[in-house]
Amino acid sequence: MRQSSKCTVVLASIYACFGAALPNAFADETCNSPYMSNLIKGQEDFVHVWTLGVKGLGDGSDKLVTIDANPASKTYGKVVDRVPVGGRGEAHHMGFTDDRKFLWAGGLDDSKIYVFDVGTDPSKPKLVRTIADLPAKTKFIGPHTFYALPGRMLIGNLSNTADKGGVTGMALYNNKGSLIARYDMPTASIGGVKGDGYGYDIAINPAKNVLLTSSFAGWQNYMRELGDLIKDPEAMKHFGSTMVVWNLKSMQPTQVLSVPGAPLEIRWSLAPGQNWAITAAALTSKLWLIKQGEGGAWAATEVGTIGNPAQVPLPVDISITAGGKGLWVNTFMDGTTHYFDLTDPEHPKETYQKRIGSQVNMISQSWDGKRVYTTSSLLAHWDKKGADNEQFLRAFNWDGHALTPAFEVDFTKEKLGRPHHMKFTGKAGQSRTLAAIAGQ
Amino acid sequence: MLRSLRFVTTCLLTFASAQAAVDVSPATAPRMEFTPLPPGTYQLPAIQSVEDATLLDERGRPVRLSALTQDKITLLTFFYTYCADPLGCPFAHQTLNMLRDRIVRDPALAREVRFVGISCDPSTDTPDSLARYATDFTTESRFEWRFLTARSVSALLPVLDDFGQDVSVEVDGSGRATRALHHMLKVFLIDRRGRVREIYSLAYLQPEVMLNDIRTLYLEPHTSPADARTGARRPE
Repeated sequence: MRQSSKCTVVLASIYACFGAALPNAFADETCNSPYMSNLIKGQEDFVHVWTLGVKGLGDGSDKLVTIDANPASKTYGKVVDRVPVGGRGEAHHMGFTDDRKFLWAGGLDDSKIYVFDVGTDPSKPKLVRTIADLPAKTKFIGPHTFYALPGRMLIGNLSNTADKGGVTGMALYNNKGSLIARYDMPTASIGGVKGDGYGYDIAINPAKNVLLTSSFAGWQNYMRELGDLIKDPEAMKHFGSTMVVWNLKSMQPTQVLSVPGAPLEIRWSLAPGQNWAITAAALTSKLWLIKQGEGGAWAATEVGTIGNPAQVPLPVDISITAGGKGLWVNTFMDGTTHYFDLTDPEHPKETYQKRIGSQVNMISQSWDGKRVYTTSSLLAHWDKKGADNEQFLRAFNWDGHALTPAFEVDFTKEKLGRPHHMKFTGKAGQSRTLAAIAGQ
Repeated sequence: MLRSLRFVTTCLLTFASAQAAVDVSPATAPRMEFTPLPPGTYQLPAIQSVEDATLLDERGRPVRLSALTQDKITLLTFFYTYCADPLGCPFAHQTLNMLRDRIVRDPALAREVRFVGISCDPSTDTPDSLARYATDFTTESRFEWRFLTARSVSALLPVLDDFGQDVSVEVDGSGRATRALHHMLKVFLIDRRGRVREIYSLAYLQPEVMLNDIRTLYLEPHTSPADARTGARRPE
């Protein structure tokens, strides 16, 4: 039996037995913090890929890989830089600071946070700071989401130092790398729904002063071999099933919403006045809409199905279009990307799908929606085995009807590792920093 | 309002480094569709302390930055006099004008608040030009609104670095600096002890919220940095 088939059967069993949830993801130009400057609304020049090291492959280290993404460039589609960080800590997600000058990238295993300077020369990022005090100062581990606030970074974590389970919280650092505050995910009942204390993604709507969080699982689960995990009924109970509505100003939870099946990535519609967000629940393979009712309370409503839930396609990353009219959803198990028409967010309709590879996780689109980038790795211990363990970045052009291949980088052949989260940058162009000018 | 338009180009608010691929279309003003929390019902954690520096006031006199970031609640922003982006420096100053008008309705509060603007182009914004610029904003005698510049770009850089305020400059085809500056609009709320307690970028520049944040700090026990060192407490 091929590993992918075995894995599908295994996951189907998980779902059938426990109805619980699984994996993760997050990316792209349309999902950046609303507090971030310099959105790239034209052609991106580089795609930075936070890549998990693989023992025995190249230097074996986690690394930031930079790929030329500008078709006008001589090195288009090629790896132009790599910055190893000197170890394997389960590289996962990244986020820009508010000025887009620095990328913060986290390790889910070692809980280290690496800060790369991508503003000085985006073709050659530099590791300028390593923050290693998250566990000691917050008791949280597994830094996942990096969400820029003005002058600071809000970090959504997955686990804790005490039992390495899923109860966790958020940490707020200033851009200099000093901890400002920590916030526990709620475990009490709020609005009639009991919090599970789990964390995952962060998404803010400034116009509503609302922060939304979602929930996944703790270190005990995400660092475990999937084959072992699913044989442990007790462990399989420990996946998130809630989202939390926070008052952004006070950073106090105001509502807990029941969203079974591990709600992962959260995307607010970016269309002005459209104050709704959407998420995908991994194990139940459902789309959920989060919207404010007339009375002011927020509600989560199941609005769509992704693939055939009985086959556990495992939706992971999602990417909303800039106008809020379309949504890409990657399903890991069948390596397929799906496009949903979100013209009516209450009734998403799948209008296109394409198989990307034997496995696919992250998806990032350009602001204009014309270019779509995908990567393959989910977690080191959850990726498929053998021939199905393809590790790639595959870029496509999107004309509104079909994806056509643009370029591809084979991360195994290039001895890079497992590609995960992607972020875009543009060249410095016709500007220089004031410091550079002063030094002339 | 904008007198020094000799070098008017564009202040591309929010677009810190004018990257070739970066969209430079105007940003939009912030929307606010909620009722802000009442003052004093929430905490504003200390984000960072402000490092001291020596700058120049509108008369060209050296002034310690700490003298204008402590003992009162301070809203500080970086600007340049010829910025013409309607959602850049003019928008920030328009917002601050509105706030000032609200604050002076409460004389006790007005005595405890100041605004500070620091030019990010000391080459152009000399003390003389600052003095002319300031006349548009220092019309209210009951309120302290100060404008500062630096002796040189080199003297300004540590201040920008401390606040995390990046400023970039357009260069021409020969790589020479032009007069086009780019900076991300940020307004810093600083408490009486010289600690940054909130930072407002464009999406966050909501006057009602800013006023409540100021009042939240106003309601805090008043302890100056010097008092904090000696354990003394000022009368409320």
